[in-house]
Amino acid sequence: MKEIPDKEILLFKSCLVNVEYPGVESSTRFLFDKLGIEYIVSERQSCCTGLGHYSDLFDQFSTAALAARNFGIARELGHKNIATLCATCYAILKKSGNILNKQDHIRDSINKILDDSGVPDLKYNLEDMDSRSNIFHAVEILYNKVDEIQDLVEVDLSEIKVAAHHACHYCKVHHKDTIGNVRDPMVMETLARACGVQTVNWYDRKTNTCGNGFRQRYMNKDLSFSITAEKLMSLKENEVDILLHMCPNCQLQFDRNQKVIGESFGTEFNIICLNVSQFLALALGADPYKVVGIQTHTVPVEPILDKIKQIIHAYEV
Amino acid sequence: MKVKGHFSRYAPKSSIDIGVFLCKCGGNISHTVDIRRLKSSIDAKVVKEFENLCSIKCQRNIRDVILEEELDRVVIVACSPITHEKTFRNHVAPLNPYLLEMANIREQCSWVHSDMDKATEKAISLTNAAIERVKYARPLDAIVRKTKKSAAVIGGGISGITAALSIAKQGIKVHIIEEKPTVGGNMIKIGKVFSPEKLAEECALCLFNPLINEAVQHKNINIITNAELKSSQRKTGNFSLLVERRPSFVKEDKCMACGNCAEVCPVDVPNEWNEKLMFRKAIYKPFPQSVPDVYTIDEENCIKCGKCQKVCTMKAIDLEMKGEIIPLNVGSVVIATGHKGFDLEKRPEYGYCRNEDVITQMELARIMGVNGPTNGKLLKPSDGKVPRRVVMVQCAGSRDEKPGGKRYCSRVCCMVALKHANFIRRYYPETEIIICYTDMRTPGMYENYFRHVQSKEIKLIRGRPGEIVKIDDTIVVRVEDTLKGEQVEIETDMVVLSEAMEPSKGTIKVAETLNVGLTEDLFVKEKHPKIRPVTTDVEGIYVCGTAQGPKDITDSVSQANAAASKVSEIMNGGLEIEPTIAVVDNYKCDICGECVKACKYKAIYMHDERISVDPIACTGCGICISKCKNKAVEVMGQTDSQIFAMIFGLLKDKKEGERRILAFVDYIGYVAADNIGINRISYPESVRIIRIPSINRLMPKHVLFAFENGADGIFLGEYPDDIMYPDIQAKVQEIRSELLRNSIDPDRLLYYKVYAPYFRGLANKLTEFDKQVSKALDKLEPVLYKASSKDL
Repeated sequence: MKEIPDKEILLFKSCLVNVEYPGVESSTRFLFDKLGIEYIVSERQSCCTGLGHYSDLFDQFSTAALAARNFGIARELGHKNIATLCATCYAILKKSGNILNKQDHIRDSINKILDDSGVPDLKYNLEDMDSRSNIFHAVEILYNKVDEIQDLVEVDLSEIKVAAHHACHYCKVHHKDTIGNVRDPMVMETLARACGVQTVNWYDRKTNTCGNGFRQRYMNKDLSFSITAEKLMSLKENEVDILLHMCPNCQLQFDRNQKVIGESFGTEFNIICLNVSQFLALALGADPYKVVGIQTHTVPVEPILDKIKQIIHAYEV
Repeated sequence: MKVKGHFSRYAPKSSIDIGVFLCKCGGNISHTVDIRRLKSSIDAKVVKEFENLCSIKCQRNIRDVILEEELDRVVIVACSPITHEKTFRNHVAPLNPYLLEMANIREQCSWVHSDMDKATEKAISLTNAAIERVKYARPLDAIVRKTKKSAAVIGGGISGITAALSIAKQGIKVHIIEEKPTVGGNMIKIGKVFSPEKLAEECALCLFNPLINEAVQHKNINIITNAELKSSQRKTGNFSLLVERRPSFVKEDKCMACGNCAEVCPVDVPNEWNEKLMFRKAIYKPFPQSVPDVYTIDEENCIKCGKCQKVCTMKAIDLEMKGEIIPLNVGSVVIATGHKGFDLEKRPEYGYCRNEDVITQMELARIMGVNGPTNGKLLKPSDGKVPRRVVMVQCAGSRDEKPGGKRYCSRVCCMVALKHANFIRRYYPETEIIICYTDMRTPGMYENYFRHVQSKEIKLIRGRPGEIVKIDDTIVVRVEDTLKGEQVEIETDMVVLSEAMEPSKGTIKVAETLNVGLTEDLFVKEKHPKIRPVTTDVEGIYVCGTAQGPKDITDSVSQANAAASKVSEIMNGGLEIEPTIAVVDNYKCDICGECVKACKYKAIYMHDERISVDPIACTGCGICISKCKNKAVEVMGQTDSQIFAMIFGLLKDKKEGERRILAFVDYIGYVAADNIGINRISYPESVRIIRIPSINRLMPKHVLFAFENGADGIFLGEYPDDIMYPDIQAKVQEIRSELLRNSIDPDRLLYYKVYAPYFRGLANKLTEFDKQVSKALDKLEPVLYKASSKDL
């Protein structure tokens, strides 16, 4: 397995996380603090372009140029290891890093732009970033600390059943760097199991896409939803309480659209969608509202909270 | 004669009488080279000219002159040594054959140049070089190899047994080392096997058992089961092996295989011989036809309750039995360690571990075997019912570029699936067969079988299933029919995955123990898969069967016979080896082991605290010389003094304003250069060709010496052999940096990949290089040429 750092980390902010589920970032920061991971968050960092890139608004060149700028900032701040909250940021940054290292003419043109824009300090030098050893998903940073997490769990979750939806942009784009078997990634299950929860390790359609497909959700809504529906059905058959995510796009697809999809099938799924960081933060005793931010969720998280609370209560008595 | 620089250190001690014999080659040489002028320019005790030196009469003449004039060395000035060196060597007796040198003034002079003046001058310098070189020749004796007439075959499957039988029949003692309690390997597990040019399946046991029995009874074959190769050491071409035999706790000579012991054994163990589809006891015989025909206790699972001991009337069971270490000294080793099935846990989407009725082709083979878990009946493992439909999934693990998959095609699975399909269609006509394939690969005669099975109404879908799931009680195979472009969901009650073949653990381990190279896919690597099959990169070790790569039984058998014939070659041939190999001076050697690491041919090895060279494996390439800091290695016939003398000789009469290029080429390069002559293509007279075993033999000092003595350019030509090519590149780089350090324009050095048939390319390159050197000299000569000469 690749080497995973626990210091000099730039926690890479995500547009979708901040807009839709800000609890993902606060939960991750909560966990990083608890685990003693040395990291920073920078206001200077810009978007990875992901959403725009996959909707044909930003071409690869501008995407790589923005990445070069972000890499420059990370370098300047002495935090060269990037940990993303979103699988799309992860894939986009890795790809841009490879382009900047391998294609001299693109690197030169981007450096010229950075020069012309008055930020020569942010210029990209060859091998500044290594896609494999500098760019990570925050889940990987946590995965590396799974034993420590196990010791910090504060609540009993043994009656809850979770399944995981590993994001395509994490597993399938740079699959040589994916932890574990890309055909059955177990990164999130491993983390969840450390909290004593029951995990459904395999379910039908496990490795399928969430159905979101960026603009597909808007352009081909029926196709998009039918794929999400298939997966929801399989999860329901497996009696899953919580579906764990590692990408705000997927989380959005399953959380925001679950009710509509259920209605078209005449059913209610009631599958709670949590980012794995949110789930781990809950397990480690974080405040559900102030840290985990469950008030921004569409499928209510409270029922599970009650379950957890009861258990805690039982302990107290 | 005076020579300068470090070369003088190598000068011979006393004066040497040299005889030079010139050949006119019936005008082939004398029409272009002025023989009289050549003759008059030679400084030797005797100079004689002949019309046709290679004729028998002339050869006798040479011998007479040698005896009369009491010559110490002979130089033949004639054609290419590739054509006639052997002939002339035979005719210099009583002189040692290696005290002869040839100057090639036909292929590399008279046939490539037309200007008589220039050709004669070149002939003179070629002759001079040969004279200089022969002074440093030493008498050498051919090496006669003594190899022990015995071999070890590792692995007792179809390949190992076949190889062992063939070797044994050629009068060589063979030890078969098998890690399992019985020989038979994978083939013995398969009920029915396919054959080329036959539309029917054959019984594997009926084909294989007679061979096994023959092996057991053969006086030259010794079968060691329950055994593993622990270590291997090479000594003068032989192998000292240590084989560890695990205790079987049953005395082989007493056990009658009555089976009473197994009946009372309380321990149930999944039976690996039946692909764990059923159980066996801790004391067991793998299958009724096991060889040797005795019971074995598997130490891992035995609880030592002693019940078996009580019922054994032969007193064959000894629970205190210890393992033993068996030393074997053999002349050759055959690796026949086979393959294993791909671990299907790595393809979780196929549900192999979650669903009992998703099985492998090997499991199906056991189910279909009459001595298998269902006595040959096609029954589902989950409920013992006959399946109504069987879906076969090809390329399960093969042709897969994702991590964990195998990129290669496993070659047999299409035929295996068709064989099982045909068998099922014949005996269970109610059962439907669907094969999901990537490409149907049934080359050669197997295509007939494919057509035959297709006519049995099997269904073929071109597509690789994405998922196999169980919905309620039905298995659903989701696949895209890529011919129709449709997503298909096939409901079925049994799925058979055609698992990839991968190297067995034993294959990897044995290769490591024997220090034999592996391919990227961890199969045993052949030295040259096209022209040196079954030969590994260690001389004397051969490979056959699926240890070398995926293949069927037919191919395994022919490969096994090939390996056996290679073994017999080195044992029965009484090999005589050219003495032009590396020799280690043990007084100078401090056993640092750098040469051992550098030798890609694994010809140098260390044992008993000294470095030795295996004469069969050594090619005399000379890479070890550059690695030896103590100058303890030499290559016979290619000593430093010989190389320096040759360089000196080729340059000593260089005139003012003349250009001279030394072209160092390997054997292939030399042949290509001869081909230029044979085809009468011309190249500049400036080029002087020197044959070396490999560029790896050269060191910067040789090249610097050449520049110092007036060379204008150095051309390096070698066939880019896979195994040595990286070292050649490194060597060229090393020489280039040395030139830079000495302020010599690197344009005056060129490395070129030579191929024997592409001689025109070589001729063009030599011409181009001549121009390049001329330009480099124009540009730099006033400053650098002089500088390089002075600095040295």
